[in-house]
Amino acid sequence: MDADTLHTIELFLNFGWPLLLLMTAYFIGTIIERNHFRRIRKREAEYQSMPVVTFETMPNDWDASESTLVTGSIVVSLDYFKRVIAGLRGIVGGRVKTYEPLLDRARREALLRMIEDAREQGFDGVYNVRLETSRLANSRGDGQGTAGVEMLAFGTAVKMASRFAPRAERF
Amino acid sequence: MRHVPRQPREGINVSDTHPLVEAGTLVVGLTAIFVAIVLFLVFLIEVVLYFVPAEKEAALFRDWLPIDLVTVSPDDERLDQAQALIDALAAQWQDSPYKFRVEIDQSEVANAMALPGGLIIVTDGLLEQVESENELAFVLGHELGHYRNRDHLRALGRGVVLALLFTVTTGRDVSGIGITVSDLALRGFSRKQEIAADAFGLGVVNAHYGHVNEAWRLFQRWDEGNDDRLDLAAYTSTHPQPADRIERLEELAWIEGWDLEGQVTGLGW
Repeated sequence: MDADTLHTIELFLNFGWPLLLLMTAYFIGTIIERNHFRRIRKREAEYQSMPVVTFETMPNDWDASESTLVTGSIVVSLDYFKRVIAGLRGIVGGRVKTYEPLLDRARREALLRMIEDAREQGFDGVYNVRLETSRLANSRGDGQGTAGVEMLAFGTAVKMASRFAPRAERF
Repeated sequence: MRHVPRQPREGINVSDTHPLVEAGTLVVGLTAIFVAIVLFLVFLIEVVLYFVPAEKEAALFRDWLPIDLVTVSPDDERLDQAQALIDALAAQWQDSPYKFRVEIDQSEVANAMALPGGLIIVTDGLLEQVESENELAFVLGHELGHYRNRDHLRALGRGVVLALLFTVTTGRDVSGIGITVSDLALRGFSRKQEIAADAFGLGVVNAHYGHVNEAWRLFQRWDEGNDDRLDLAAYTSTHPQPADRIERLEELAWIEGWDLEGQVTGLGW
């Protein structure tokens, strides 16, 4: 191998390879994200008739006959592209714009899974809904890097004595 | 209380900047900042060089040896001969503030380095490849040229600057790219320094031997035979290509009227 070939290989390893990885991560990540948002919107439209509220106590116009805890959780991780761009953003600070859609997806997906948990068991509404996040173990041996985050949504699901029909409407 | 079915609103929690726009802005902006910092620090090195005269540097680094240097045994006969040669060559540079020391590094890669305080390192690999004293004299003369122009301190300063930036910048990917970029940018300066050092080195060789015969014979062999190109990849990335170098040296000898013929001195080992 002559010096020119070596130089080309060196250049590829230094710039070409990370760039290729970055582009692949971007395209695959974008497709996955777009499809996920489409599924999220479709399900949100489907379930929008179900009351899901954050009140700590049950609204007093719900005549509950049964209640249970429902949960929905999702674990998400970053793609290489988002990680690199966020790393660059970390130098100067500001809105980490590449993470925002990721966490938005996580919150909405967790809520949807919680609602699905409730619906599948025949419940009619959920109150005291809470969201919690926990960071997963490090992805690198040196204690750096995030393997992913878990988004957990939970609440108290209730069955209404009479199918959901708020009292205020009846009087 | 009435339940109004409603879907989550879009565009509140997610900014509508396209990820590629975000990436482009960051890359261009940070590169500009990075380049500005590197240029500023390079300028700062020049300022420091101006305020630290060579005499002070020579005194400061008098007995200094890099820790990671693997030297040959002090009884090695090549060491004495190389020292004698450098002393003879340094005599041609009258107002030199340095007292030069030679050490031989046990490395296969053919190279020579000028370190602060007049410490010249030649590698085992280089001594294997030189076939006459004149060839070695030119390499040593070239290093003297670096001392004269104080490039060795610039190189050291840049090394420190890059190491500093590496530790300050967080994230391995980011700083890795940054270092390579500034390395490429600094290579342009480095080539200019090598040419100046070559010119000084050839002058010293001519003053010592009275001719410049075989001075660049080593580079001619490197240029002709591709056998050792692997070793050369690292060297040629910071130095001019052998062919360009030979051409420039021949031109210089012609302009200065230096004798291209003369008695070649053999090596004593």
